[in-house]
Amino acid sequence: MARALKLALLHLYPVALLLAAWEASVAAGLVRKILLPAPSAVFARLFELLQTAAFLEHVAQTLVRLSAGLAIATALGLALGLAAAASHPAGRMIQPLVRVLAPIPKIALYPALILILGFDHASKIALVAADAVFPILFATYHGARMVEPKLLWSARAAGTSPRACVFKIVLPAALPSILTGFRIALVISCVVVFLAEMISSTDGLGHLLIRAARAFRTVDMFVPLVTISLLGLALNALVAAGRRRLLAGYGEAR
Amino acid sequence: MRLRGLLSLPGVPPLLSLGGLLALWQIAAGAIGIEGLPSASSVIASLPGVLFDLESLAEIGASLQRMALGFAIAVATAIPLGLVMGRSRAVAGFFGPLLTLIYPVPKAALMPIIMLWFGVGDFSKVLVIFLGVSLPLIYHSYAGARAVDEKLVWSAMAMGMPARRRVFSIILPSALPEVMLGCRVGIAMALIVMVSSEMIARQSGVGNLLFNSLDMAQYHTVYATILVIGAIGFALDALFERVRRRLTFWGETGEETVAGGG
Amino acid sequence: MIEIERLSKTFRTETGAEHAALLDISIAVPEGQFLSILGPSGCGKSTLLYIVGGFVRASSGQVRVAGRAVSGPGPDRGPVFQEFALFPWKSVTGNVIYGLLEQGVPREEAERRVAKLLEAVHLKGYENFYPKELSGGMKQRVAIARTLAYDPAILLMDEPFGSLDAHTRTLLQNELLSIWERDRKTVLFVTHSVEEAIFLSDRVFVMTASPGRQKAVIDIDLPRPRVRSELLLDRRYQETVVEIERLMENPVQ
Repeated sequence: MARALKLALLHLYPVALLLAAWEASVAAGLVRKILLPAPSAVFARLFELLQTAAFLEHVAQTLVRLSAGLAIATALGLALGLAAAASHPAGRMIQPLVRVLAPIPKIALYPALILILGFDHASKIALVAADAVFPILFATYHGARMVEPKLLWSARAAGTSPRACVFKIVLPAALPSILTGFRIALVISCVVVFLAEMISSTDGLGHLLIRAARAFRTVDMFVPLVTISLLGLALNALVAAGRRRLLAGYGEAR
Repeated sequence: MRLRGLLSLPGVPPLLSLGGLLALWQIAAGAIGIEGLPSASSVIASLPGVLFDLESLAEIGASLQRMALGFAIAVATAIPLGLVMGRSRAVAGFFGPLLTLIYPVPKAALMPIIMLWFGVGDFSKVLVIFLGVSLPLIYHSYAGARAVDEKLVWSAMAMGMPARRRVFSIILPSALPEVMLGCRVGIAMALIVMVSSEMIARQSGVGNLLFNSLDMAQYHTVYATILVIGAIGFALDALFERVRRRLTFWGETGEETVAGGG
Repeated sequence: MIEIERLSKTFRTETGAEHAALLDISIAVPEGQFLSILGPSGCGKSTLLYIVGGFVRASSGQVRVAGRAVSGPGPDRGPVFQEFALFPWKSVTGNVIYGLLEQGVPREEAERRVAKLLEAVHLKGYENFYPKELSGGMKQRVAIARTLAYDPAILLMDEPFGSLDAHTRTLLQNELLSIWERDRKTVLFVTHSVEEAIFLSDRVFVMTASPGRQKAVIDIDLPRPRVRSELLLDRRYQETVVEIERLMENPVQ
């Protein structure tokens, strides 16, 4: 336990240093408080806001959009990735589509999504899904392609049909890779939902930043940023813990 | 047989899939039939209007210039930093945690704060792009430098090569595949950050053009501009991929990494 | 039981060139026979096994099992691979019970059979272990138990003891024989070890180097059960070893 703590401290010392330097600069008057509030001020304000229903509602909105978009992206990415890996004709259809769509900055689609789906949840969820689907698709596809053929042969000989093999063998075998892709998609989802809310929204964390910017309340500008980062870190840690549990038996396959 | 031969030519499958997407769009537009989704044909017809409008072109050009500048500065600073981090545990130990912390923060979201500090001019925009590009560049340069086979370095040492020459003759070329991969991700990030920061800041640039057209209900222009941005993204990615392959034809890199968000 | 007629297999490489792996293989394996397929590395002996198993398609020729042509994998031909190929996300029990559940055996009955099998391969007590926690020898025992679980009429074994150390190999050879003595399944056993081939089998099919052709078929007339210490001093065994080793010395012809 002491060793883990020591390791954590070793890793975090630059962060602590930065925060300390930042706090000191503001306190010493080196930076104008209106431009760069002290970390203590930001965290105090965050703590204060977390106890208000209004702020929590904004957080909830952001989370809802994030989760919905990520869920759609996961379902789509898994389905397309498995299909492309398992079936040659499907792969030949999906691969060029991905090649064309992947390099396009999906954020550029946002105005079109607004036109089609409206200004509220749907367009944001669609944007998140559009951005998050690609890492999951890639991870699923590559993970599925790298499954050891002899695993499939063993299952086939035991009587599993080729179709059932995809779910019973390919999916579990590709799970480590898929989870890595999911983590990347998670970070991307946090980023995209925040940006979408900044660009065009009436609620959510991103919107709060813009609102604070318009009112020149600098502390209130930092709070949503810190919140989304902490959210992202927390969700990431959740996924990491889930990953450890799901992959408990895997061993070398990790 | 001839169809197969045709399909195996390099540019053909993407063109076919593009055609397929456009056809799908056309059908969907007809089926959904709202003003907000004009048909693909009408959008393509309005492309010349967008492309030959001098003002829009100037905006797009200015955006690309800023993007190039931000990218260039990032390349000059982030790659060396990443390489040094890869060779020195102390440096990695210092910068690593900081970068991990910044990673989930959307760089374009810093736009309002940066504008507060540095004003609404080009500097802010270039800075944000620089920040967005730096992270993947640092990460991949770091990975590339770390993965240099020590035996190569030892062989060079045994040959009497001084440290400075080793950096350029051994470490840089060894790390190059990963660095180039970082560049490819970086250019994608540059485009994403550029467009999103312009959508947020709404001063100038292609992101601003998009939302202006949206506000003015010029739906065809919206979609046409999206197509132009998409084409730019595709072209940049293809270009970088070719450059990367030519420079590092001998190497094996990790799997495709995906840029996303901002 | 197994009839192989004029089997050939050519592979097309990435560059488009053609590589002949097997050429004109013909052999009939009666029911209950333990046949070793012996040959140098790369002679196509594994490919031959995979074709019988239905995992790889032949380029020309025919394979019939129990009178019917082979069209794909099935529970009548159970494989055991050199790399074990255990499902890493399943425990020992999960792996062994897999085939039983696929065959529709009810869970309670299946668990009973798994317990018996694990005892037969000396893995009692390891039911909840995962493959990553097992040694090579134990992993192969699980692999054998997993295949035996769905009771295939034919066992296809592809150098199953190749990645084990010499001591474990000897142990598992004996265990395999004692298990085999009970049911006398038909076994196709691929190996590059002359001694292993002679020790285990009723007949040895010797192949040439690539492209693999039949070089010789040797009947092994030694009495069963085979005891290693007795066999090593048996004159007929020694002569057979020498005979086959001589054949292997000139692998091309």
